[in-house]
Amino acid sequence: MERALTVDQRWDLVDRIAKETVEVGAYKPTLKDALAGITVNPWTGIPFAIAVLYGFWTFFGEFAGLFTDGFFVRIFGTHWIPFLGEKLAGLPDWAFTILVGDKAVFAEGFVGDPCFAAGGVLTTGLFMPFGIVLWAVLALFFVLAILEDTGYLPRLAVLIDTVMHKIGLHGFAIVPTLISLGCNVPGVTAARTLETRKQRFIMIALLGVFVPCGAQIGMMEELVPGMIGWVFLTLAIGYFVFGWVLNKIWPGESPEILMDVPPYRAPQWSNILRKTWMRTRHFLFVAVPFVLLGCAIVMVLYATGAMDAIASGLEGLLASVFGVPASATPSLMVGFLRKDLAIGLLPIGAMTNYQVFKSVILLSIYFPCLATFALLLRELNWKEILATLGFLVAMVFVFGGVLNLIGMAGGW
Amino acid sequence: MEKKLSEMKYEEEGIVKKIEGGLKDKIAGMGIREGKEIKMMTKQPIKGPLVVAVGRSNTSIGLGLADKIIVEVGK
Amino acid sequence: MNKVLLMGQANVGKSVLFNHLAGAAATVSNYPGTTVDFDKGHMMIEGERVEVVDVPGAFSLDPKDRAEEVAVRMLEEEKGATVVCVIDSSKVERGLYLALELIEKGYPVMIDLNMADVAKDVNIKVDTKRLEDILGVPVVTTVATRGEGLKELVSRMKEAKPVETGKIIEKVEAS
Repeated sequence: MERALTVDQRWDLVDRIAKETVEVGAYKPTLKDALAGITVNPWTGIPFAIAVLYGFWTFFGEFAGLFTDGFFVRIFGTHWIPFLGEKLAGLPDWAFTILVGDKAVFAEGFVGDPCFAAGGVLTTGLFMPFGIVLWAVLALFFVLAILEDTGYLPRLAVLIDTVMHKIGLHGFAIVPTLISLGCNVPGVTAARTLETRKQRFIMIALLGVFVPCGAQIGMMEELVPGMIGWVFLTLAIGYFVFGWVLNKIWPGESPEILMDVPPYRAPQWSNILRKTWMRTRHFLFVAVPFVLLGCAIVMVLYATGAMDAIASGLEGLLASVFGVPASATPSLMVGFLRKDLAIGLLPIGAMTNYQVFKSVILLSIYFPCLATFALLLRELNWKEILATLGFLVAMVFVFGGVLNLIGMAGGW
Repeated sequence: MEKKLSEMKYEEEGIVKKIEGGLKDKIAGMGIREGKEIKMMTKQPIKGPLVVAVGRSNTSIGLGLADKIIVEVGK
Repeated sequence: MNKVLLMGQANVGKSVLFNHLAGAAATVSNYPGTTVDFDKGHMMIEGERVEVVDVPGAFSLDPKDRAEEVAVRMLEEEKGATVVCVIDSSKVERGLYLALELIEKGYPVMIDLNMADVAKDVNIKVDTKRLEDILGVPVVTTVATRGEGLKELVSRMKEAKPVETGKIIEKVEAS
């Protein structure tokens, strides 16, 4: 027989039990408690937060750069790709094209970096996930694990709550956002910790549209390092402005923050490493097959001439609305599969800097990758899914159009 | 003197007097309840959230929710 | 006993405990609500294969977000499962609040006072014998991060049993 107590009765009972069994001795606050105060007090906490995030960003850039430029560009560019070109030269043309790259290009020499110019499944297809993206994702997940395990994230949530509340969320939304910078898939899952349907919808829509994942960031860091700041700024503006709009137009409740703030803990390295590894492994399983598939599709479309047909079909739209050349078509097409691969396929040499910038922004917002989209289908109801897709399309035209107008005004 | 939790000052201490109905059940498990000592740890500017300490737990609460909690403070 | 649910509030070291018990690798974090998709694993108790479930953290059985809803729903679907209520030893009172809710629902409960090292650091002592006597369910102390006390936790799981709330009130009043 169940016998339920009221809240007051239950607490009364807890108090009486605790009086019998718990003895609270004198306690002197320690360094951890002092740090807890400093990092959550706005006057000291905000500079601290900026310093922490900047430090981690620097670590991320250095770490990822060390592996990519230090090792993999050389390994792939001067050894692996020429080696494959020779060893597999006996394959029929179609197979060589898909696995390695265009035979003519191999014969004439590459324009630009062979790691990207080759394009085959075993060349560029392996270089992107293992040469670049893996290290970026690994570094981001490692940094994130440290932020999580020390207990810093809830403090960051308190500091940013005021701003987040303006867009219908609350401070805890910083957690799914930061996780999404590693990979959008666990980020979207983490959005479940928000209380209402409205909050989860806003969060998931913003994550899917405006938060680039670690794989994308890694590719940007490699290919357009000078632009990252502007890309982030543009996406952040989108995140807040359109979060604010969604909050105004979408019905539902946006309750205020109510969150446990755990004490600081020294991180356990075994746990941090295990968590970094688990997430990275999950990333590899989800991402690598799509990157390889994407490479294969692009090469098949090239070899059959279909790519030219599609590109010329889209040329009018791309040029008039977005001011992007038709040679960006393959990149935009595989963007549905993987954003990192899409950035790798941008014809950077054939575009102006401003066109590259616009393309990177468009790629970020125009569709979440396939894995994230599959998750959206599970997390949202049909009305929310349609709204998210409508939101996506609207954002593509708003951002593409506005950036194009700015470009025309600036003469870029 | 009684005042709302949202009106307490930085580092002020008091005793929780009353929590409005719905909120009471919601925060019961977080350790905030009537009769407990409560201390203001931080208040964020521009109507931001507060962080309060009850026992060994710290909890962040939005300002609007904090309006629903009445605290008895000294003086 | 065929199924064990690990229940507890956020940040009580539940997922670390789960990792030890199930030998799996659940993601562990120091912020509220990490386990939203739950993890399942198996452990052996006296040659018997028992399923262990890491239930999302919940402050009470009165859910305030989707993670807590998942926790409450799982609990309702698993009538008859043994529930291990994991409590942060430095925050016993609010942990007991959840433990009482579980007991009231009629589950066979046992209590794990985890993070005993933290409680020691802040000079909080819990009389586990007395607590066990009052509640009428097994109470053990663990430091899951260091693997301490886990053997006792596992060996006493079979002693978990449903208790009438009235009995607990009687016990407290008698003292």
